[in-house]
Amino acid sequence: MSTFKPGLVHVPVTPFKADQSIDFDLYTKILEYHLKNGADSIAVPMQQAEDVSLTEIELRQVIEFAIKQVKGRVPVIAHVSDPGTGIAVERARFAEKAGASAIASHPPYFWHPKPSMVVEHLVQVGSATGLPFFICTPVVEDAGTHLTGEMVLEVVQRLDNIAGVVDSSMRFVFMAETVSNGREIRPDFQLLSGTDFMVPNAAVGGAGAFSPLSSVAPKLARRIYELCMKQQLVQARTLQEDMAELHHLVKQGGRAGLKTAMRAMGRECGDPRLPGLSLGEPAMSQLAARVVACPYLSAEPRGW
Amino acid sequence: MSTVLTEAPAARPASKKQPFVLKGVMQAPVTPLHDDFSVDYDGLEKMVNFHVVNGAPAIAWPHHKAESPNLTMEERKKGAEVLIKTVARRVPVSIFVGSLSEEDSLDLARHAQKAGADMLLTISPYCRRPTQEEIFHSIVRIGTHTDLSVLTYNSPWRNGEGVEFTSELVQRLIERLPNYIGVKDASFHSEKFTEISRVALRMRPGFSIIMGLEHLLASYPLGACGSFSSCGAIAPNLCNRFFAALEANDWDTARACQYKITRLYRLFKDQYPSSLKGAMISMGRNAGPIRPPLPTASKERVEFLCRQLEELDVINTEPHGW
Repeated sequence: MSTFKPGLVHVPVTPFKADQSIDFDLYTKILEYHLKNGADSIAVPMQQAEDVSLTEIELRQVIEFAIKQVKGRVPVIAHVSDPGTGIAVERARFAEKAGASAIASHPPYFWHPKPSMVVEHLVQVGSATGLPFFICTPVVEDAGTHLTGEMVLEVVQRLDNIAGVVDSSMRFVFMAETVSNGREIRPDFQLLSGTDFMVPNAAVGGAGAFSPLSSVAPKLARRIYELCMKQQLVQARTLQEDMAELHHLVKQGGRAGLKTAMRAMGRECGDPRLPGLSLGEPAMSQLAARVVACPYLSAEPRGW
Repeated sequence: MSTVLTEAPAARPASKKQPFVLKGVMQAPVTPLHDDFSVDYDGLEKMVNFHVVNGAPAIAWPHHKAESPNLTMEERKKGAEVLIKTVARRVPVSIFVGSLSEEDSLDLARHAQKAGADMLLTISPYCRRPTQEEIFHSIVRIGTHTDLSVLTYNSPWRNGEGVEFTSELVQRLIERLPNYIGVKDASFHSEKFTEISRVALRMRPGFSIIMGLEHLLASYPLGACGSFSSCGAIAPNLCNRFFAALEANDWDTARACQYKITRLYRLFKDQYPSSLKGAMISMGRNAGPIRPPLPTASKERVEFLCRQLEELDVINTEPHGW
């Protein structure tokens, strides 16, 4: 059983140039921003990094580049989800050799395999390396077979290096069943929030989070995280509501929302890669204006 | 238009002081039936009394757990009368008036007010994918048809099915209805719950967000005031201990209770409420069969449930009989 505890995990976006290539100079700035602003760990390339829009070569480049740039200052978690089991397995092995500290993967997108096959997929990806392994719930739940508590339990029973679940489903029942069943088998089993809704996750017994909005409001994320770690959950309510409002606002911008909000905070990261589209004007300026007007963002860092 | 893209709404207190506070694990009794499937009104009286004596802070009937879609209008009205009379103002009473026909809901609302209920729980007629606009008009029609306090039932299902009360809709209803006092929330979802709670509680402090079942642990720190119970007919002590732990911010105890309740609910979820009634037999509270098309728990299922209750240490820690 893994004892690796990722803490508050930042999930950097992937910046692209106008010619659609990855802007690695800007990516360096992004990684340094996260290190400077409280990342306990960094996970690349998560869904917010447009992982599904990256080629196999780019996925490996991003993992390798992040590990080299971070230089061991914090652990780097490699996200290797893929519709094909063999492809995900090979990418996990690559990440281990490159120096990743842990592997994360969700059930395969696109296919709708039977639950037993999803379990097999996750077991194969998890056992491809000796690193701690986190199962992620897919951000788009209907893009594959739903991950259930029973499926998680089977993986926990079969994988010695299972570390926990990163939950983006936000479903109370799944969260409670996952953490309670997982801990019956492995006392160190972790439930991390895959979103910035950390309070409900902490209430059911989770700890830690993969925080997409740390790209916009790292101080707010840290404050909520600290209160959750101290079990001051009721006290965290107002901050969680602020974060929920920011989440709701960014969501209005669809795939371009997060990069638009980052731009509003003085951190220009370009547009999403095609087929993702820029919000365009006037929507982009309107969303940016609303972000900067949020009173709870006044203490957040501007620029890099 | 999203709530956050508009100006923050002003606080709108309810029109008159609500004479009761909704707080805790509230009980929603099953409907006891005779072997011939007729409603056992004496049994309902015993069931309601059992809940009140065992600490229920409010009584709500007939939820789906009470087989409401399988009850006739006359049975729902008579049951409401029995319930209100039995409770005799010891705790507040909510009557569920949701049905497939809006006209039936209006009829049930009129009856509930006349019979002396404290509040209504309502939902736009389901099984027809109503739009947000249709739900708004439905609730306004019922809410302006009664002087009672009104709760709405947020029941989103996957893939856009169900009847979902978004935060924008809740905001519009608070603006429109001074007697709109709360939501029964069955989203069981961090984002959806927080959207409603952060908007509603700022507009109408004291607005009651009640979880549809005891999946209360995740939402309590964010403003949920309690829940309608799934397992109170089996384990009322556990329900009460759970809420006391939440109020004390004793998270370790609350988690232990929530995990146990979640395991119980998983047992009862099978053809709900068939397995719930099946488990009640082991607790000395036989509430009879289930109306078709749902199955009555078989002898084997009842035995299985009994073993599970023993394993969960429910049999020896919860009250037996009525």
